[in-house]
Amino acid sequence: MLGNFLKSGFRVLLRQKNYALLNIAGLSIGIVAFVFIYLYIQNEIHYDRTWNNYHHLYRINEEYSTGGKVEKMALTPFMLADRLDSVFPEIIQSTRLFFTDPSDKNSFSSVKYKGKMYEIPNMTIGDARVFRIFDYHFVEGNPDSCLTQPNSLVLSSAMKKEIFGNQPALGKKVKTSLREYRVTGVFDNANRPSHLNFDAVVSANSLTKEEQEGLHNNWFWINCYTYLQLADTVNLKQFQTRVNLFVNRSIHEYVKQEGLQIEGTAKMQLQPIYQIHFSTGWLYDSHTNTNSSYLYIIGIVALFILLTASINYINFATARSLKRAREIGLRKVIGAFRKQLALQYISEALLLTFTAFVIALSLVEIMMPTFNSLVGKHITLVDSLFSGYGLLFGLVLILLMLLLAVISGSFPAFVLYALQPADVLRGNNLFLRHKSNQRFTADSLRRMLVVIQYLLAIVMFISTLVMWAQIHYVQHRPLGFNKNNVVVVNSPADSSFRGRAARFVAALKEDSAIKSVTTTANLPGYLCGKMLFSVGDTSEPHFQTINSFVVGNHYFEMLKIPLIKGRLFSIKKEDDSTENFILNEAAVKFLKLQNPVGTELNTAFTKKGKIIGVVKDFNFSSLHQKVEPLAFILRPKMVQYVLLRIDKDHKRQAISYLKKTWKAFNPAYPIHYTFLGDKLDSLYQSDQKIFSIFFYFTIFILLISSLGLYGLSAFLVEQRSKEISIRKVLGGSEEQIILLMVKEYMALVLLAGVLAVPLVYLFMSRWLDGFAYRISLSPIYFVLGIVVVALIAFVTVLIQSYQIVRKNPTLSLKHE
Amino acid sequence: MFQSRDVETVALAGIDLKVEAGDFIAVMGPSGCGKSTLLNLLGMIDESSGGQYSFLGRNVCNLSQRQRTLLRKENIGFVFQNFNLIDELSIWENIELPLVYLGIKKQERRERVARIIDQLEISHRKDLLPIQLSGGQQQRVAVARAIVSRPKLLLADEPTGNLDSMHSEEVMNILNQLNKKGMTIVMVTHSQYDASYSRRVVHLFDGQIINENLNHSL
Repeated sequence: MLGNFLKSGFRVLLRQKNYALLNIAGLSIGIVAFVFIYLYIQNEIHYDRTWNNYHHLYRINEEYSTGGKVEKMALTPFMLADRLDSVFPEIIQSTRLFFTDPSDKNSFSSVKYKGKMYEIPNMTIGDARVFRIFDYHFVEGNPDSCLTQPNSLVLSSAMKKEIFGNQPALGKKVKTSLREYRVTGVFDNANRPSHLNFDAVVSANSLTKEEQEGLHNNWFWINCYTYLQLADTVNLKQFQTRVNLFVNRSIHEYVKQEGLQIEGTAKMQLQPIYQIHFSTGWLYDSHTNTNSSYLYIIGIVALFILLTASINYINFATARSLKRAREIGLRKVIGAFRKQLALQYISEALLLTFTAFVIALSLVEIMMPTFNSLVGKHITLVDSLFSGYGLLFGLVLILLMLLLAVISGSFPAFVLYALQPADVLRGNNLFLRHKSNQRFTADSLRRMLVVIQYLLAIVMFISTLVMWAQIHYVQHRPLGFNKNNVVVVNSPADSSFRGRAARFVAALKEDSAIKSVTTTANLPGYLCGKMLFSVGDTSEPHFQTINSFVVGNHYFEMLKIPLIKGRLFSIKKEDDSTENFILNEAAVKFLKLQNPVGTELNTAFTKKGKIIGVVKDFNFSSLHQKVEPLAFILRPKMVQYVLLRIDKDHKRQAISYLKKTWKAFNPAYPIHYTFLGDKLDSLYQSDQKIFSIFFYFTIFILLISSLGLYGLSAFLVEQRSKEISIRKVLGGSEEQIILLMVKEYMALVLLAGVLAVPLVYLFMSRWLDGFAYRISLSPIYFVLGIVVVALIAFVTVLIQSYQIVRKNPTLSLKHE
Repeated sequence: MFQSRDVETVALAGIDLKVEAGDFIAVMGPSGCGKSTLLNLLGMIDESSGGQYSFLGRNVCNLSQRQRTLLRKENIGFVFQNFNLIDELSIWENIELPLVYLGIKKQERRERVARIIDQLEISHRKDLLPIQLSGGQQQRVAVARAIVSRPKLLLADEPTGNLDSMHSEEVMNILNQLNKKGMTIVMVTHSQYDASYSRRVVHLFDGQIINENLNHSL
């Protein structure tokens, strides 16, 4: 019997190809969107949950308050872990990883092997216990001992493959400009979503004695991430309190011992490792961190998409099934029980939903590379389904498939079965024979569905518009300096470059397409340091933390940062590069200086200096933040970047000359450069990502809504074909009749628009509040959004109405 | 009685009809007199608002819908004016359908359908779809479907209404042969010619039997 039903179902689908295609397409699109969002969320919430004992792993963050300012940092002093280990037995083990800045995509470490240079994007320094806590799978070497010896290097399997191919790497030696390392391990980081992002780790005891000296003694050299594994019996709150007491006591003793005039309080916070990915309030944290509220929003949108696609499917299927009322009546007459009919129609519906699911999953697989590139991940459908909650998700999909089939198949089997066969076989209008309130309910439900779908579509569309406008604004807003045609060249990973940097700069200046060149350690759009400053000559200095930029000669002239008071750094003034400072306006305000030029300014560790000039505030970080206080220090020999301003009409010439000159000065190192404007745009990468996701979601929702409206309007207009024919015969024009059909739907879409306005306003106001510099929510976004979506709906219904209205009226009336 | 919103329509009233085994009854009358309603009531595909209906000794009015369905599918076959074949099923599958719903095993279904399509000379069209057949051929298939379950009663609602005279005669001859073999037939018709095949003619007018006579033309 089942075979009979499926055969019949398959033939029904073939006969009603358009309906089948529409319904399958709408449901497939909804499932595709839902699956992608699930995969994204699953990957995000799995960050740092794949470690063994992840429930007992914590990172220590430090809040340091001084001078009324609080600095919240994800970094801590290197020595913290050892000191805590020796005092707190609750700590099972600890480890440290040095800070690197993976947001600078042009920053590489270089290693040489057999005469060839290889670049490692993110190489860091870690102590011996890194791989005991972070239990990566090792394909070569021993994770417990791979970093115990000095000059040990552990590589990711991807890096190992690049350098050594298929040959084993263990025991082989590579060279950096500073030292030689021996490969002691190769780890596999696949399927390990984590805030950790390194490609290679060298052992911390590779550093020289002098380098290590400072690490073990200085409480204010905050430079690494510290992780603890705690016993499961630990009372976290109490432990944290005890750690804070210990740390503050230690800092106090250090300050006294060193004779430093620093007053401040450190507050250590134990952050569960699986929460790191969702924290955005700590400086120097992973650049892949995200706001967890985005996941909630995306998750809700995903559910809505699936819900509207499912309801669309059921609505359309049940509406279409009315066309089969005659067949149902006949089967009942011939002797079918309700259960048999239910089985038949559910089987048919299952065929449709199963097809939709298969198509959807196939599309997901095909589109996966594009999706991964959009969201910056390496997700695979198969791995996701067989890991974590993947099997549960697979089960949910199967249940959904069955549920949709049961609901849509049950309608003809139960609702239509209940009708008298005599009525349906006679072809009586079922709408008239229904009780009026039943008909009202069915129609109202359909209208409500249209409103809900278009409400969501309009909300998404306007939100996407606003996001685009805000991102466009932040990318084009004047920043207070001239970023145009400025090329940023990363120094090679070669410690000897500093010695030839000046000659390199001089050589670059010789080309006419290069207007000016300078070197610097800090730039707008890149991470900056922080230092403790105090004002004036006093026996009781009051230190406060201020951002600091270490710059080279002619920095301000290069970037056209206006001077307000005093003077800029001068190469003729020797003490400019040893003692003097320039501040921005915000720093002057922060330090409450009335006459800043000439005021003495001291740092906690170096000799006294003075303020020689004040520059106008400019945006040196993302426009999410207001301009903060900033102090400039001249150190021409600290070269991280070479800046060039090139002639915009001779860009190619300039870049070509740059490359040639680079090769002449740094033949062993590939050049890495970017335009400063592009780097500044990349500050909004996560905003861009969210915008892209919203953009594609909007397309999905518009597609689903349009398909639903197209199908539904086709059906309902067809239901009114007799009325249309009569109106035509009586003299109604096609335009009048089409307007009659269309205006009902347009009213619903406009209602959705009106309902969408407060929702969008609320949601986008909150998102925009995350920017210190933002656009205003102009009515034009709302009007444009509603108009565009209404236009799409209008065209959708118009196409259907036009086809039916154009038909010869006698064809409909003849049947009567 | 039918109710639509606030309008009541009396379709049949005061009907007193007895159908004996082996009868061939033609129900005649003008449009809207209640002929099809009577047929639907006899076939238990419609329910009366009052009165009694006994079928094979059982009071149908007391039965649940499931019981009526069971009684109907085991004992009654239907032939409709507009054939009412299922477009997605082949001729063979259309005829087989009542046996599927009766739960008859595949082998027996095959034998019975084969016998019927031979009998009605439509075996060479068994794999075609209804849309590929002429009206007369479709009605033959409908008759085959109606009798494949060996019903005791065959109800035919204007079986020749959509056919030309040649095919009408073919169908009526089939019904006649079935009746001669003992099948009870109640047929609604407008056609005097079709009625001439019956043994009894019942005339309805405004929902009531106004005349009943034996048909001596046979």
